[in-house]
Amino acid sequence: MSLIHLEDVKKSYTSIGMTTEVLKGVTLKISEGEYVAIIGPSGAGKSTLMSIMGCLGRPTSGSYYLDGELVDQMNDKQLSGVRNEKIGFVFQAFHLLAGVSAFDNVYLPLVYCRKTPADARDRVREILAKVGLSERMNHSPGKLSGGEQQRVTIARALVNQPKIVLADEPTGNLDSITGKEIMAIFDRLNAEGNTIILITHDPEVAARAHRTIRIKDGLIESDEKNENFPEFGSGAEGTRA
Amino acid sequence: MRIFRNLVQALRGLGRNKANVFLMTLGVAVGIASLTVIVAIGEGTRAKVLDRIAGFGFGPESFSIYAGSGRLFFRKAQMPTNMSFQDVEDVASLPTVRHVMPRQRKRLRAVYRKNSTSTRIYGVTPLWEIIRAWPIVDGKFFDDRDMDRKSKVAVLGATPVKNLFPPGEDPLGKSVRMGNVFFKVVGLLEEKGLTESGYDPDNRVLIPISTSVARLTHEAHLHSIKVQAMSPEVVDETMEATRQILRRNHNLSPITSDDFRFVTPTGIMEWITEQKQAMNRMLILISTVSLLVGGIVIMNIMLVSIRERIHEIGVRRCFGARRSDITQQFLFESVFVSMLGGIVGTIFGVVVSLVLKRTDFIPAQITWEPFVLAALFSGAVGLVFGIQPARKAANWSPEETIR
Ligand SMILES: Nc1ncnc2c1ncn2[C@@H]1O[C@H](COP(=O)(O)OP(=O)(O)O)[C@@H](O)[C@H]1O
Ligand SMILES: [Mg+2]
Repeated sequence: MSLIHLEDVKKSYTSIGMTTEVLKGVTLKISEGEYVAIIGPSGAGKSTLMSIMGCLGRPTSGSYYLDGELVDQMNDKQLSGVRNEKIGFVFQAFHLLAGVSAFDNVYLPLVYCRKTPADARDRVREILAKVGLSERMNHSPGKLSGGEQQRVTIARALVNQPKIVLADEPTGNLDSITGKEIMAIFDRLNAEGNTIILITHDPEVAARAHRTIRIKDGLIESDEKNENFPEFGSGAEGTRA
Repeated sequence: MRIFRNLVQALRGLGRNKANVFLMTLGVAVGIASLTVIVAIGEGTRAKVLDRIAGFGFGPESFSIYAGSGRLFFRKAQMPTNMSFQDVEDVASLPTVRHVMPRQRKRLRAVYRKNSTSTRIYGVTPLWEIIRAWPIVDGKFFDDRDMDRKSKVAVLGATPVKNLFPPGEDPLGKSVRMGNVFFKVVGLLEEKGLTESGYDPDNRVLIPISTSVARLTHEAHLHSIKVQAMSPEVVDETMEATRQILRRNHNLSPITSDDFRFVTPTGIMEWITEQKQAMNRMLILISTVSLLVGGIVIMNIMLVSIRERIHEIGVRRCFGARRSDITQQFLFESVFVSMLGGIVGTIFGVVVSLVLKRTDFIPAQITWEPFVLAALFSGAVGLVFGIQPARKAANWSPEETIR
């Protein structure tokens, strides 16, 4: 069973009477443990696709099954629960709470989970250690470098043990060396079994994934496994879906 | 509990937005402080008025009849001339009556050497001393012999003494001219001080009513009659009997209303109660307006605040905050800030009230009411005026807020 299954998903925005169709019928399957890069030119609809996969917005038409559940008909409470438990977001612009310590930023998903785990604080410390930020967990984002901030967002994405990590241009605001460090974290996370979906327009970044989906004008232009990693081969399933 | 987690988030949110907290707190505090001060002044005034009434020795067994229709001390029409010594005699013959005292009243200038002052001259009987229970600090009250002889003697209140005699000069035995008549000062009244309304009870001179009729007013009709009943229980029946006597003596037909009016301790109390109710209505109006202002301050700042924090809201939504979580968080913020304003306002109001009390200028009394009111109203203000911004914040879609 696919973790993510989009069936003919369309999304249009209406503003000042004008309707623009951003996604024009996307069908896509992603399985557990995959490492997928979504690439395409600016304005192609990548972020829109991600916000639908992340349950931040609903498709205008089509269906979206996440982990076997139909998401389209869910109410706000259910959608919030899905975002909290199944999705971890990493953004290009970090989207950390200003003036809040790295620790508390990472803690945020645990504020909104059904029941705060007893070991919540230990979990936060552990995950911060994993991204190499043990020393700086009491610093607020303003006192952290871009690379450090992105590590905080990764820690935040992972703290509630989600099914999928959705990263929208995670290296877009970083210099290339820092970008590589961040990508190394994603590589490692995938190796540990996390499902990772990565939006980027940097081919070098995309090359680290095992499957590349190319979006253009709201449609999937191509969907293929990366030659460098034939042993994973999970891309084939998605292509035929 | 999820709601407590939202409360914690709200308090931390306030910690990061201190400028807004300050403004909102101030907005509510001003309203609550004025409320507290107004309540304190109201209570203080009431307490002082009650003190004064008690101080007048206006016991529950006595009442007065004033000539002219109207209510209490407020006469409606011209003073009629038909309240007479006959009325006094007839009322005195009622079995439930202990004392009756007629009274004439005239405003005149009193003159001593180069000094003169405007004062109220009361023609009364020696019973005055008993009925009013107003101590004489020097000399003595005039007696029945002075009444019979129509003696030209006077008892002075503290105000004419101050205005006529230089400090250190003993007024007793001195001759004071009132109208065309010279009166010998035989006694001095204890000083009472100004009342709340600015009335000066000390500005009075007492003379025998026989002298007043014969030498000063040259009229036999009375200003008022003071009656002391045997006991408080018989006051009502005595008043009714008195009414019948006066109506008969004044030849009033059954359809004519009374040409006199009663002044009783209960009547005054009722009047005070009415005044207090009027003041309470004022109070409610003022506090409503000030709380409304506080509420609008809160609402506007919260509306600005959620716009400033739209990004924070988006981030929270991305990581699992429900609409209800966002609503709760911002409602907690506005209610907390409002209650903080309530506390600060109450403290400020109490301090101002205590200062006022000290000055002895404006009466103020601290009671429990403002505390309860402040707690209730400030919480309610935060809730009512916080709901719209909170729901607005919650209704933004996460997609929009994170862009
Ligand atoms: N909320 C919105 N309202 C109107 N237009 C939007 C909205 N969100 C995205 N778009 C439009 O949809 C198109 C695709 O946007 P996006 O998904 O962000 O592209 P990408 O991430 O691939 O650069 C763009 O032309 C953008 O202007
Ligand atoms: Mg984008």
